[in-house]
Amino acid sequence: MRHFLPLALVCLLGSLLPMAPIAAAQEPPSPVVFTPRPDSEIPAGPFGDLVRKGEKIFTQTGKYAGKYVGNDLTCESCHLDRGRKPYAAPLWGAYVSYPRFRTKNMKVSRLGERIQGCFRFSMNGVAPPLAGDTIRSIVAYSFWMSKGAPVGTPLVGTGMYHMPPTSHKPDPFNGKKVYKARCALCHGADGLGASSGGDVAFPPVWGPRSYNAGAGLAKVGKLAGFIKMNMPLSKGDTLSDRDAWDVAAYVDSQPRPADPRKKS
Amino acid sequence: MNPSRCFIRYLTLPAMFLLMLSSLPAAQAGDLIEKGKTIAREGNGLPGSTACMECHRFHGGGMPSIASPRIAGQPQKYIEHEILGVKAGTRFAPVMAGVVNNLSRSDIRAVAAWYASVRTPKLRDVSPYDPKLVALGKRIALKGEWKKNVPACVLCHGPEGRGIPPHFPYIKGQNKGYLLQQLMSFAFLKRADDPQGLMRGIARRLSLQERKAVAEYFASLTPPPADGQPDTSPSGKETR
Repeated sequence: MRHFLPLALVCLLGSLLPMAPIAAAQEPPSPVVFTPRPDSEIPAGPFGDLVRKGEKIFTQTGKYAGKYVGNDLTCESCHLDRGRKPYAAPLWGAYVSYPRFRTKNMKVSRLGERIQGCFRFSMNGVAPPLAGDTIRSIVAYSFWMSKGAPVGTPLVGTGMYHMPPTSHKPDPFNGKKVYKARCALCHGADGLGASSGGDVAFPPVWGPRSYNAGAGLAKVGKLAGFIKMNMPLSKGDTLSDRDAWDVAAYVDSQPRPADPRKKS
Repeated sequence: MNPSRCFIRYLTLPAMFLLMLSSLPAAQAGDLIEKGKTIAREGNGLPGSTACMECHRFHGGGMPSIASPRIAGQPQKYIEHEILGVKAGTRFAPVMAGVVNNLSRSDIRAVAAWYASVRTPKLRDVSPYDPKLVALGKRIALKGEWKKNVPACVLCHGPEGRGIPPHFPYIKGQNKGYLLQQLMSFAFLKRADDPQGLMRGIARRLSLQERKAVAEYFASLTPPPADGQPDTSPSGKETR
């Protein structure tokens, strides 16, 4: 393997040569590590109020945007650390990545439209109106959090982690074993999560109160990437790639609400 | 028809009914709690046995002066798991190890059932809570310290730290000596009974100041009536 490396490098350089003058003029884009400002810096006044409202909706979605939510999840169930954690689709990465073309609906979406999709699929609810308070607050919260982030430049940890392609077919049977050992403690052997005094404590990962079949995480690769980097909470990146694939295949093989686009 | 057969049939119905009665969980739980109550008050009767109430009090209020935890209303399964851990040596507890050594498996189930069933008010802590530490602790408890990969405590210990039964104990209203001692124990000593080493990792990544702060914050709150039960007092609800 080792003696291929110089050869590969030479080939790579060779292929870059025609572009060399341009490359020298503009540095190759190195990924930027971005850290959002602490929330103590959210300003006073109407704008700050909107941002704070966005955060409330974000962490307690059922309470502050209940009429658009059809399950037991909150925005923070997936966007960890109140939308700040790298590789858990952080808001600072999202804000500077829109508008963008999405193959999901073959359209160029604005951030607000993308958030509508979260409500419709991941929250198994209905899309809040674009001009309404819910979307406006979440967009304001995202804008504030991305203050200082370069627009349209790749940032480390934007979106979800893309799993390297796997040669093995994700195996839900091994996934079930991994799930029982590493996930069931919080999400329950039945996948229905756990509550504490009537409040949802651990989110359900399948069943009628979880994300529907049209959600991003209903795709095994996406879910595997999320699990790989974030689960179990505080022990991200401890599952092997293979186990992450398998446990994602297991979770996504379980029953959940139908994709609303296919219902009628 | 054979008369003796008829007789048997006549007998089986009430017999089955009695059997069903005896296996009713409520009746069993009652017996278990009674047995646990006795052990909590007097020990299990073996020579040298110590009553749980010497340190945890009869109604599970604990003893802040010696950092003995309040255990009233913790999940039965959790209490059982912890006693077994102390016995097996996976949970660092030099004093309690000697005490629980002669408890049988059924003794342990019984005391766990007793302390899970009792309710008791909060006892006064050893010193007033430091407002600065409480503020820092509150931040870590409700928002986490994700730069160090420390999620908000309430994500696993329930809203305000009221617990998520059966695996996650309540920590609000616990005495501060105990909370700090356990964080230190997870971080440096031999408390290794936490599932998947979750607490060991988190406690290790916190600084001494942060561990103190988290302990002060949760100790400053009112305990829930029992694990996972919401606080009924007006100041009880701390939202994120």
